[in-house]
Amino acid sequence: MFRRDVLKALAAPLVAGAATGRPGVAPSAATGDPQAANGRQVMNSRPLMTVRISAAPAQKVGTVPHGTRLIVPVTGGDFEGPRLRGKILPGGGDWLLLRGDGVLELDLRITLETDDHALIYMTFQGLRHGPPDAIAALGRGEVVDPARYYFRTVPRFETSAEMYTFLNRIIAVGAGETRPDGAVHKIDEIL
Amino acid sequence: MTSRPLMTLQVVVPPPQKLGVVPHGTRVIAPIASGTFEGPRLRGKVLPGGGDWTLLRSDGVLELDLRITLETDDGALINMSSFGFRHGPADVLAALARGESVDPSRYYFRTVPRFETSAPAYAYLNQVIAIASGDRRASGPIYTIEEVL
Repeated sequence: MFRRDVLKALAAPLVAGAATGRPGVAPSAATGDPQAANGRQVMNSRPLMTVRISAAPAQKVGTVPHGTRLIVPVTGGDFEGPRLRGKILPGGGDWLLLRGDGVLELDLRITLETDDHALIYMTFQGLRHGPPDAIAALGRGEVVDPARYYFRTVPRFETSAEMYTFLNRIIAVGAGETRPDGAVHKIDEIL
Repeated sequence: MTSRPLMTLQVVVPPPQKLGVVPHGTRVIAPIASGTFEGPRLRGKVLPGGGDWTLLRSDGVLELDLRITLETDDGALINMSSFGFRHGPADVLAALARGESVDPSRYYFRTVPRFETSAPAYAYLNQVIAIASGDRRASGPIYTIEEVL
């Protein structure tokens, strides 16, 4: 398959408005065309954990040079996945910035404690945005179907615990849901 | 996680600057001389002047910290930065270091790109979370970048 065909195949779902369309596999490296080989879908993921964060009311810092700053203290929570589970220690927070283009930037730092007492430092940066009515409903503390807005994060981890050092070298992506008393993040490890 | 292709990015890396052992590991700075990118919604070239500030950690993981400027074929400038990891079996990493071609499925090379632009046609890039899969070639890496939906 020629590169042009690959690009056309990739573009087709976009034109159709079907955001979930994933192209099939393509062109093999056997064609000798490195660009074509790149058309393969190589991004796979697997569940890492679901993190449920309990938060205190936001500290409204107000308008700052980069936007509107809100700081949300984290009071606790828990996490659970196939390879780790435990609780969130109090003391972390999410340093939110509402940008001029309406996008909310997230900048979280928390400490996880596994059920076998390992400490894991977790941070993420992320983005949340969506239709004004959905965002306004979230602002009023209502429950909104997370499919109605975009809330994605890229978590990073740091630990010294031998059992969990795999966390030090993975790229991960989280899909978030804002709840009235905090947030839930379904985190996948990128394979 | 669902995603869709954003672009394929190929950068050309001249010989790196080996700074040696620094407090956080071994620092190697790879200047980026040029490159190209192409996807369903954007295409163009990489401007010279960027680089990848790589750090080899004591646990054998290479941390990547890239900053480049993309120029689309219609003249928009896009600031791209990405953070990532590269690691794998010792023999595979040694072959890469010798400049050999290695099947990218034999090592882990993933990054998280972020974008910044003022061009209205590309403002959606300001609002996406993206992930990339890398393939280290002798002339420089090729990244397959996907938008996380």
